[in-house]
Amino acid sequence: MRKLIALVCVSFLALSSAGQQKEGNLFPYNYAIDDLDNGLRLVTIPTDFPNMIGLYIVVQAGSRNEIEPGKSGYAHLFEHIMFRGSENYSPEERDRILKKAGAESNATTNADRTTYYETFSKEDLESVMKLEADRFQRLKYPESSYKTESLAVLGEYNKNSADPTEKLEEVLHETAFTAHTYRHTTMGFLKDIQDMPNQYDYSLQFYNRFYRPEHSTITLVGDVTHDHALALTKKYFGEWKSGNYRPDIPLEPAQKEPRQASVAWAAPTLPWIAVAFKGPAYSDEKKDKAALDLLSPMAFGSNSDLYQRLVLKEQKVDELEVAFGNHPDPELFTIWARIKDPKDIDYVRDQILATFERFTKETVDPGRLDATRSRIRYSFALRMNSSSAIANAVAQYIALRRTPETINKLFALYREISPEDIRAIARQYFTANNRTIVTLSNSKGAN
Amino acid sequence: MCSNYSHRFPSSQRRGGAKRRGAQAGRDISPIRPPRRLRFAQRSFSSGFALTGSRFAPSSARRGIIIFGLVLLLWCTALTAFPSKIPTVLLPGPSPLVTFRILFMTGSAFDPPGKEGLAALTASMLAQGGTRSMSYDQIVQALYPMASSVNAQVDKEMTVFTGTTHIENLDHYYALLRDMLLDPGFRAEDFKRLRDDAINFLKVSLRESNDEELGKEELYNIIYAGHPYGHHNTGKISSLEKLTLADVRGFYRDYYKGTSLTIGLAGGYPKNFPDKVQTDFARLPQGSTDKRRFENPKLSPEMRIEIIARDTRSTAISLGFPISVNRGSKDWPALALVASYFGQHRSSNSYLYQRLREARGLNYGDYAYVEYFPRGMFQMTPDPNLARQQQIFQIWIRPVEAQNSLFALRAALYEYDKLLRDGLSQETFETTREFLTKYANILTQTQSAQLGYTLDSRYYGIPDYNSYVKEQLTKLTVGDVNAAIRRHLKSDRMRIVLITKDADRLRDAIVKNTPSPIVYNSPKPEEILDEDKIIQSYKINVKSEDVSVAQVNRVFE
Repeated sequence: MRKLIALVCVSFLALSSAGQQKEGNLFPYNYAIDDLDNGLRLVTIPTDFPNMIGLYIVVQAGSRNEIEPGKSGYAHLFEHIMFRGSENYSPEERDRILKKAGAESNATTNADRTTYYETFSKEDLESVMKLEADRFQRLKYPESSYKTESLAVLGEYNKNSADPTEKLEEVLHETAFTAHTYRHTTMGFLKDIQDMPNQYDYSLQFYNRFYRPEHSTITLVGDVTHDHALALTKKYFGEWKSGNYRPDIPLEPAQKEPRQASVAWAAPTLPWIAVAFKGPAYSDEKKDKAALDLLSPMAFGSNSDLYQRLVLKEQKVDELEVAFGNHPDPELFTIWARIKDPKDIDYVRDQILATFERFTKETVDPGRLDATRSRIRYSFALRMNSSSAIANAVAQYIALRRTPETINKLFALYREISPEDIRAIARQYFTANNRTIVTLSNSKGAN
Repeated sequence: MCSNYSHRFPSSQRRGGAKRRGAQAGRDISPIRPPRRLRFAQRSFSSGFALTGSRFAPSSARRGIIIFGLVLLLWCTALTAFPSKIPTVLLPGPSPLVTFRILFMTGSAFDPPGKEGLAALTASMLAQGGTRSMSYDQIVQALYPMASSVNAQVDKEMTVFTGTTHIENLDHYYALLRDMLLDPGFRAEDFKRLRDDAINFLKVSLRESNDEELGKEELYNIIYAGHPYGHHNTGKISSLEKLTLADVRGFYRDYYKGTSLTIGLAGGYPKNFPDKVQTDFARLPQGSTDKRRFENPKLSPEMRIEIIARDTRSTAISLGFPISVNRGSKDWPALALVASYFGQHRSSNSYLYQRLREARGLNYGDYAYVEYFPRGMFQMTPDPNLARQQQIFQIWIRPVEAQNSLFALRAALYEYDKLLRDGLSQETFETTREFLTKYANILTQTQSAQLGYTLDSRYYGIPDYNSYVKEQLTKLTVGDVNAAIRRHLKSDRMRIVLITKDADRLRDAIVKNTPSPIVYNSPKPEEILDEDKIIQSYKINVKSEDVSVAQVNRVFE
């Protein structure tokens, strides 16, 4: 065991001073990081919200790790399987323990991570840690329950399938990526989901590859002390064996031409358009991602010229959103728009493209840049409203860098970025050869 | 701003977090974007205004409540009762955040006939429109650096405007919020945009993109047909198309009164701040309060099924019937416990989920409710301030493969009948009670939720939610719970909505009671297979004329 860091950050109340906040950290809590010898990391974040604890276990395995053809959707499937029993706890026993704890318990998967979480009263911490430790180290599920659970995954696909944007997103990624696993969504392709019941052995392999301490971080937030958290982690997770699998994620070759696709949707819908450019990977050191993070609300957010024109003044669009997540590999910077009248699709597309082009030429207004930094700062502060909310906010950064400190580094980077940086970086990424456009509209023109 | 206006699905939720692709995939969806809630949530003195009494709690319950409330008041020093006419609920705390819940006792049940959607459109004109001195785009610009918003949620009897801001921005934010609610601009361009939004929400987002919410909302519509609750909170498409700006002005004038208002504030606001808010909102006209009593709907005593034909992959199922119990009723704790045992929202800790999903892999989840819970597919806990005089018991079967539609419906009815017959065992009663006792802390984790629950408790005439639930659960016995099941959940007024692509064939199978065996992809225990033999032929007691097929484009018209 070696204790790495015990950082002392500004207190939350210190955030109430704008001056201090400007110079201070974005993430306002004290936290401690401990690395066990097996590679498992524990992040403990005591808060002053009484009684409750949020336990988030982040596994750095998402649909990005699904490299074999025909095996999309397994990170997500596995998230389901983790509730199907372990050596010392049947699913029923697990449910009983969590019910007794009055816990909220669930899990989510995305492209880069799978997150398991429980929120519960502090007196139940040990029983929940013991329970969690068993499934992470000793998962045990019969083939029959594996097959049944694969149907619940299909049920999840089904409940999503009524939404046209699910399909649009699927086609967008399939078009924009040719080699990288970001080509498929986290749900996976329907044909792969339908084949899941036949892949019990593969599921065991997936568990053995990724459910290892070196890929996992335990985050405990709330009414908990560092000593207690560490003692329980060592007690219940100390014997977890590390693995040696390293996924060979295919590199996406440079895109050499603009791409486009269209989706004909059988049910009545308003048309949708997604305009995407390949963007940079997450970094708290290089300016690329941070600069485009700052640009995204200025160019496409609710106070942007484009939004004001398309949504408020001309009222040709009723949804205009920018999507630009944090990922370990380059992903998409996407504008989504829902268009009220099919005849305006081309106009809206051109307006979006003109906006991208504009910011490759013009520098952003410095006042607006400051307002955006302010927005990020307050937006983060407003999220810190319960221990589980803090844990949830931190989880994505834990998946990327295994420390909340990356949040502070990123915000420090935001402060360094100039209007000229943004223009230069926009020019680098928003090129025609880096672009994918997908439209979706009703096959019969109905809305 | 206002992406969370209640008639719309929040964008990050609607696409299941497309911003972080695939984030929707999950055993169950976690909130992608945390609700706007506040910190320092666990305060035990968030009560007291229950003393003002409920208009709707049964009198016997109210007596006990009043005694309990009086005890609470003795130590409830942080809650300030204003001498003014506008009731104000205050939850002061050390948080640097300040949250507002400005609650008007009006909502879609107050929509005049033929003008369904007027309450919601009026609220959206306040929360997403300009003021007299600022256009909406100027308001958006002003709110941008604060990362704050003004949100409206409209239900049958309540309209709440919510927002949270950092204390550093309080003056600026409050000035905007105040003008938006007290000095609205009612501009034609805002009206056009927001009416279009409302129509497109019903016509496209709800009717054609989300079978689950569609099924749940249509269930309410048919249970409350001909009742003031009988249309979606957003309205009806045909009515919305005819609404005018003059209608909106009229609704604002008639229903946004000081007498229908309760101000809720929480967090680290300055000591004199509530006075200021009081004074400002006292500008609203007083007038008489429209205290309407809404009756239990008159439904004919037989099962009725509506099958909505829509070209969709799978079948969404919702079923339910009206109950005469709300949170202010004596039997509410017992029924809340039953709903939790039978179908705790989005939890594997519930009976239905274990039988239908865990044992059989029929779908993604199966839940039960005794209170309205909109947007349940997007969130783990309900929004506060959806309090109603009338509620329904509801079972939500998430979409099943089309070939299993009838089996799933039968399984739900079989389990419901079994619940009526067998009730809860001592053991299941105790574990559910233990769960709910602690789970109250999760429901009220944040300051905003606490404020919302406190306002609701005031409406229902009960003490603060946490204390009340814990106190009532302690007193409850399994006998009480099973008696409440017999009293309230045995209904011959069951209404069922299914959304499926092959409506006529499904109707035919239902009316002929055609067996619906299920085929599994893996061996099942004998106990399940034996039960399946019963379920596959389980008689659905419905007359042929009570099973109708509707085209989806008729819904919400």
